[in-house]
Amino acid sequence: MLNRAIGKLRRVFAATLVMTCAALVAVPQAQANPNIAGKKVIFVPISMGISLTEGWARRMKEHAAIYGYALDIRDPAFNTQAMTELLAKAISEKPDVLVVHNPTVQLLSRQIKQAEAAGIKVLQINLQSNQQSSAFVGANWERIGREIAEDIVKSCGKDSGKSGKVAIIPGQLTAADSVMMNDAAFKVFKEHPEIKVVSNQASDWEPEKARQITATVLQQNPDLCAIFGHWDVHTMGAGAAVKDAALQGKALVYATGGGDNVTCKAVEDGVLDRVWSYDADGQGRDAATLIDLLLQGAKSEDGKMLSLESPMKIIKAGSDYSPNLCWKM
Amino acid sequence: MINPANIFGRDEKRTNILGAVVLVATVLLIALFSIKIDSFATPGNLRVLLSNSASLVILSCGMAVVIISRGLDLSLIAQMVAGAATFSILINAGLNGWAAFGLTLFAMALIGAMNAWLIAYVEIPAMLATLASAMSITGFFRFAILRGEYLLLLDKSNPAVALLSSSVLSGIPVPFLLMASTLLVTWGLLRYSVPGRITYAMGDNFQAARLTGLPVRTATAAIYVFAAFTAFIAGLVVSSASGTVDFRTVTNGSLLFDVILVVVLGGIPLRGGRGGVGNILIGTALIAVLRNGMTLMDFSTQTQDVLKGLVLITAIVADRFINPRDIETDTVGDL
Repeated sequence: MLNRAIGKLRRVFAATLVMTCAALVAVPQAQANPNIAGKKVIFVPISMGISLTEGWARRMKEHAAIYGYALDIRDPAFNTQAMTELLAKAISEKPDVLVVHNPTVQLLSRQIKQAEAAGIKVLQINLQSNQQSSAFVGANWERIGREIAEDIVKSCGKDSGKSGKVAIIPGQLTAADSVMMNDAAFKVFKEHPEIKVVSNQASDWEPEKARQITATVLQQNPDLCAIFGHWDVHTMGAGAAVKDAALQGKALVYATGGGDNVTCKAVEDGVLDRVWSYDADGQGRDAATLIDLLLQGAKSEDGKMLSLESPMKIIKAGSDYSPNLCWKM
Repeated sequence: MINPANIFGRDEKRTNILGAVVLVATVLLIALFSIKIDSFATPGNLRVLLSNSASLVILSCGMAVVIISRGLDLSLIAQMVAGAATFSILINAGLNGWAAFGLTLFAMALIGAMNAWLIAYVEIPAMLATLASAMSITGFFRFAILRGEYLLLLDKSNPAVALLSSSVLSGIPVPFLLMASTLLVTWGLLRYSVPGRITYAMGDNFQAARLTGLPVRTATAAIYVFAAFTAFIAGLVVSSASGTVDFRTVTNGSLLFDVILVVVLGGIPLRGGRGGVGNILIGTALIAVLRNGMTLMDFSTQTQDVLKGLVLITAIVADRFINPRDIETDTVGDL
């Protein structure tokens, strides 16, 4: 009797199990492959051949391969004239998404507007134009400028026993990132009169120019406390000048950049002391994800720009240092 | 009474008026900066000034020789970066410093010879030939050798690099030594060597030089190969100092402009035939002092460019007045 009851229970249980499984199979699965294959994305960076843009492109290509959309990269090689021409051509080809990397806040704004009007979604990467578009992904330059300035105040300001003298080396005084970082930094310095900016001269993004400026400034101010370089690549030239003057550790070299392994090597070698990295590799993945979403029709509810801020990695020499903070191509 | 215009180089009075004017301007500028800026007239600043202008002087030696022969080498900076890049790639690949130096020197000779062949045998105007070669050198390096990269990093701990940025003989920096030797070699070549004398003859009157049977084509080859060598030496100085070889120096830098500025300001006329090492020294002195002083006074880069541009225009206009073209020296299509 009991056996029968157990047998019946077993059958019921088995039947339930089978039905449940069947039901699970029958439920439509979450679609892993959205139908964006065959769509077209064009990416116009300021220039390829630098770790920043190569790092982004690598992740974008990976996503394009997964979803089967076409990614086309047009390289103007630091030539702004060529950049506007390439962008005009890209717009005429009507891609689904256009990714642009603005050298200045002004240069591409008209073309971005034109592309959006033609129904092309424009994703601005890392450097923003003053023209809004579908989406932006990149570093928060105001935050980087402010945080570095605050760190400088901590190391060179009141009660630090240091001179409070700071040299700033922007890339170009009109470049979007330099403008924003300088604005933010000077706001902080204004509240701390003990900080004196003794030099604010652009390097045209060239390491050798940065080295020459720094050598001259160090000569005039051997008690310089900090150098704030707006890009790690040219700031390495400034770091070389500090090294040559045997002032390593006394004049702190601050920089910001994409944070690839060259940056970590520079920190290990004592050429750079503190780097605010916006992690180009992570940015590449963020950008690629945003492209996927834009291709699937993502937009914000109020029609404003979708915006993703890159998290920072702060690479400092000392006990907190780890080479894992940097990425490798 | 000693005429200050006769101290430098050959004794063409007219040419050296500009040199003398620039010299006086430099002295005034030094006086002004010494009063205005505390740390200007110090041994330390002199050292920085010299080391910052080493590459400029070396490049100017090459450019001066070319300009004296009534040529122009717009590919000088491209050659400089290409030479430094070749050298860096070779030592990064584990070659020892001397072998890398020798191989690169050979490659530079080929580039110089290529320029000279285009100018002397194919008879393309120097400006166009070297402009084209500058573009192809840069393009070739970026495309085929650096595979799209812009920047080459040099390991500063490499013995060859360390030697180039170190000091020898109780504190004389190697870049300074290289600068002095290049000046000395240029002076010797221009003054005492046969190709040097032919260079002046070519600059004075090319047709006459050729008609009298001087080997102008061979001399052209020697001149452009020499320029290529100076470019390489300058490349070594720049890259070992900053630890990088940066191809953007060619495309967006103002170094070529500075080099021409030095040569013209020093009093070497663009139509050639006159000038010497003394002129290079005068030209560099003004530019180096101006640059150093403006940096110390924290002038923005744009302001510095404006001032340098004004100085160049003034010099070129002065050059026009002091060295007017006449029927003898004017030819169609030259600079």
